[in-house]
Amino acid sequence: MNIQKFNPLKILNSSEKKEIEKQLENQFGIEKIPGIIAQKGKERLFLFTGNLNPEDIKRLEEIIIIERLGIYFARIVGEEIRLSIEGTQILKNQIKKNIFELNEEYLNSWMSGQDLLLKTGKKGFLVMKYKNNFLGCGKASEEKIGNFIPKNRRLKERS
Amino acid sequence: MKNKELKPLFAERMKELLKEDFPKYLEILEKEPVKSIRCNTLKISPNFLRASLEKKGWKINQLFKEHPEIMIIENEFLPGELGRSLEHLLGYYYAQEIASMLPVIALKPKSNEIILDLCASPGSKTTQIAAKMKNSGTLIANEIDLGRIKILASNTERCGVTNCIITKKEGSSFCKRVGEKGLKFDRILVDAPCSGEGTLRSTFLNYQMWNINLIKRFSGIQKYLLSSAIEILKEGGEIVYSTCTHAPEENEEVIDFVLNKFKGKLKIEKFNLPIKCRPGITIWQRKEYFKEMTKCCRIYPQDNNTEGFFIAKLKKIK
Repeated sequence: MNIQKFNPLKILNSSEKKEIEKQLENQFGIEKIPGIIAQKGKERLFLFTGNLNPEDIKRLEEIIIIERLGIYFARIVGEEIRLSIEGTQILKNQIKKNIFELNEEYLNSWMSGQDLLLKTGKKGFLVMKYKNNFLGCGKASEEKIGNFIPKNRRLKERS
Repeated sequence: MKNKELKPLFAERMKELLKEDFPKYLEILEKEPVKSIRCNTLKISPNFLRASLEKKGWKINQLFKEHPEIMIIENEFLPGELGRSLEHLLGYYYAQEIASMLPVIALKPKSNEIILDLCASPGSKTTQIAAKMKNSGTLIANEIDLGRIKILASNTERCGVTNCIITKKEGSSFCKRVGEKGLKFDRILVDAPCSGEGTLRSTFLNYQMWNINLIKRFSGIQKYLLSSAIEILKEGGEIVYSTCTHAPEENEEVIDFVLNKFKGKLKIEKFNLPIKCRPGITIWQRKEYFKEMTKCCRIYPQDNNTEGFFIAKLKKIK
């Protein structure tokens, strides 16, 4: 019987990790990712800062199903990378460009999962920020900033 | 929860445990437990979180000087409201009952250690351990059920826990497998599945299923789980065993069992908690337990207006 693992984790080697860092530097000025990056499927990137090295992790994976290694922090979207809420929070001290500062009114719309109908003059992913709070990425186009806040992280009206 | 709803055998057993304090226990069952949150220090400091929540009109009380991350919310909120704030969505706090924070306080996780949370979902204690470890070292959070793993993963993600590996395996099989490969842990938390007698007020559904056979069944599972976990604890390492139940068969009896099984290789450790707790018992229904059982902690709802818990800490002797 041919048993194939569903969506196995692929730990990126140093040159693959450098490519991710290079792309993040281009987009947001982020120079260094602190830890191991693992890829699940074609798009989802996970960050692990524990002290097990890739060989230890592989040995563990041989005997136990690893469901998660660290946390989801970014997604590869075509040639670009979109940071998750946690991705922007973990890397906030390194983010130097393509930041969009929200006011209180827009904060509520953003955290409710709505696109923002704003012309930013930019195209591509922007890090969304309200005061000291980092809120993931939005995608700027000519007319709006597209929202990617997952459903379970959205502000909801009281029912 | 009204007194009259207590099952007769349950009431009889609680009376035997609590003696003259039984009426106080009945009284507290009719009150709401305090609402509490734990500041996620991986993302924000207690001072900043408090300021942010107070700005919204929340009344916060930090009862314990040594644990500023523990906050009591004194507002009247609708059910589920603690999970709807912006601060919660951003992972700045975890809505967690105070008694449920105590096993990790007893465990005392440190940076750079390798730690196992054997029965990890939904992740309140996993995220608390990671915060104490400052996202360093390695934390393995194991859970048997895929549905519960999703909840666990969602909570570790929201809380920004990056030093954690989530594994899927039945607890004792996990221990056997990693033991065979020689992997050992500095600290282990076994927050065991239990009959849930301590959570009557918040999860009434558990109580409806309560019966004495359930307790016996859990007791067997717990003995097996804890014994397996001790096998993969480093010499000099520490293990915390906890349940949210009062039944001695699931608590002192389990500790008594492993002390006998690992004779001379284990000792019960004393630990301090920031709330009132009572010593473990040394006799139950004519069964005598080790005298050192008094170093364990019994947390009763009427003592602090929390849920009920049992906590024991063991050290593997070098």
